[in-house]
Amino acid sequence: MRTPWRLVPRHLRAHWVRTGLTAAAMMVAVFLLCFLMSIVTVLEKAVSESSANRVVPQSAVSLFVELPLDYHGKIAAVPGVENVAKFQWFGGYYRTPEDFFAQFAVSHEVFFDMYERDMRLVEGPNGPVGASGLSADEVSAQVIQAMSDNRRAAIVGQGLIRDFEWKVGDLIPMQSVFVPKADGSAWEFEVVGVYEPLKANFDDRTMFFRWDYYEETCNNAGDMPATGVGTYSVTIEEGYESGEVAARIDALFANGPQRTWTPTEAVFQATFVAMLGNVPLFVSTIGGAVAFAIFFSVVNTMLMAARQRSSEAGILKALGFRNGVMGRLMLAESILLSLVGGGLGVSLAIATQEPFRQMLGAMLPQYAVLNETAMIALGVSLLIGVIAGIGPAVTLSRLKVTDALRSEG
Amino acid sequence: MSHMINVDNVTKRYERGGEVLTVLDNLCLTVDQGDFVSLMGPSGSGKTTILNCVGGIDTVDAGTITVNGEDVTTMPQRRLPDWRAQNIGFVFQSFNLVPVLTAMENVILPLQLTPLSRKERKAQAIFALEIVGLADRMGHRPSQLSGGQEQRVAIARAIATDPAVILADEPTGDLDRENANAIMELLQRLNTELGKTIVVVTHDHVAAEMTKRILHLDKGVLERTEVMGTAAAGASAGAASGTAAS
Repeated sequence: MRTPWRLVPRHLRAHWVRTGLTAAAMMVAVFLLCFLMSIVTVLEKAVSESSANRVVPQSAVSLFVELPLDYHGKIAAVPGVENVAKFQWFGGYYRTPEDFFAQFAVSHEVFFDMYERDMRLVEGPNGPVGASGLSADEVSAQVIQAMSDNRRAAIVGQGLIRDFEWKVGDLIPMQSVFVPKADGSAWEFEVVGVYEPLKANFDDRTMFFRWDYYEETCNNAGDMPATGVGTYSVTIEEGYESGEVAARIDALFANGPQRTWTPTEAVFQATFVAMLGNVPLFVSTIGGAVAFAIFFSVVNTMLMAARQRSSEAGILKALGFRNGVMGRLMLAESILLSLVGGGLGVSLAIATQEPFRQMLGAMLPQYAVLNETAMIALGVSLLIGVIAGIGPAVTLSRLKVTDALRSEG
Repeated sequence: MSHMINVDNVTKRYERGGEVLTVLDNLCLTVDQGDFVSLMGPSGSGKTTILNCVGGIDTVDAGTITVNGEDVTTMPQRRLPDWRAQNIGFVFQSFNLVPVLTAMENVILPLQLTPLSRKERKAQAIFALEIVGLADRMGHRPSQLSGGQEQRVAIARAIATDPAVILADEPTGDLDRENANAIMELLQRLNTELGKTIVVVTHDHVAAEMTKRILHLDKGVLERTEVMGTAAAGASAGAASGTAAS
């Protein structure tokens, strides 16, 4: 069946104000949809990409209650435990409280082995990978060596390097909210390496530094000695079940002095997401409402277009075009309009990833519009186009030639 | 001479507000091949309805209509569009050009339904526009043309596919006298030079007198026939007695 497809872009261009306004509305809606969906997918991805063979013992009372330091050795002795690292939230800030990012004191001796699949070191004291023929292994070895040689050593993510224009070798002064130094001076860290995250659950705006530097500085401060640790991170030996080992750890401390709760890393991440409330539901509701509202806008546009197109439908039918032709033209117009608006919205969402990532800061450092999010948004645009166009398309298809020719178009 | 159009005992009724109106009442008429006929009559006499039925864009309740030997009234709905594309050229009162297309694109529209190549379609459209004297306006949109020019484009579109019959519904209704005459002269030329069978519905006596015969309808029946260019106007006793054919 022949269809004069050229009518589709011609009509959209002919009513450019209406087309532009509808496409703009669609663009804003799809942009919002992408933004909201990205928040959810980033949060979910952080959970789904968490390591299956790591568990995170923490106080059964609250994350804010520290676990005793001697738990380290006891956990390490549990059958099935391969490695244990202390993880202590530092809670400091660089320059001003607005320059906030995450910092952790970690057991650097095991940290790099435990997280080798989550991140890779891309720059060390002698330069980045590739410079002067440095291989990735050589850079890693140099960073690990620098960490063990220098008590103030720290590694930072690429995001911090980008945001604060740091470089390897810089001394970074940090003020700590929780453990300020007795003399009020800043903590100092020396950047010895830069990492690149390999997974969504590992953000690129975090600093990791040595636990012993933290412990020593706290103890020297006098009034805030390091008597415990926030959480431990435990890798499970091959052949053991995470749940089984976690149960053993919890059983070991069932009678105190601090009872533990040992979730898998995925559950641990999920509790953080849960702290924000039911974000997925909240965000999905807003996203759905936005899509629904814009659907009516497109429907309205297409109904107006269909009414104006009645006479044209009559002409085409009188000339010998079949009933379905007008329907197809109408549907194509609706789909094209929705896809143009939706495509612009997706493009805008992708183009504004970086500013949004910076704006969301430490809250969602891995904010990104994933390919699947873009595809879903385009799919929603397509669906809106189809549903909005189908009614007017059927109406025009069914219109009798004589009625159509009588109508004013 | 063979009948190009044969309307045989056609009845058409409409229901409006619960009342049944008989628009065509056992109407009989014929139009020969190469004829140029106008249909006249008061509003509601069934002129446009019979034109639409002949063109296959409206249906009848009873009777048969054959055009170029094919029975339009029993033709399956699925076949009608193709049949229309091949056999009928429509010209409407309000020109009915597609406003977003140029004159050339409007004329090409029905040619898209033919097996012609893109190049052939373009050549055919230019030829049709040349016939109506608007080849120099082929890139103009309808809004850039005068009423008379728009109607000439509509006529070019009607003849582009070389149909057997041209059906024109009030082609001069929206035009001033000068343009109306020009359009009727153009239709005359198409009839005499290209041998097209043309049926025109009109209220305009001047326009009607430019055709070969005038069929006067009233209340859905053929009241009388005027043969132009002859002193005698053949009066018909009505549809029952037969045809309007000379």
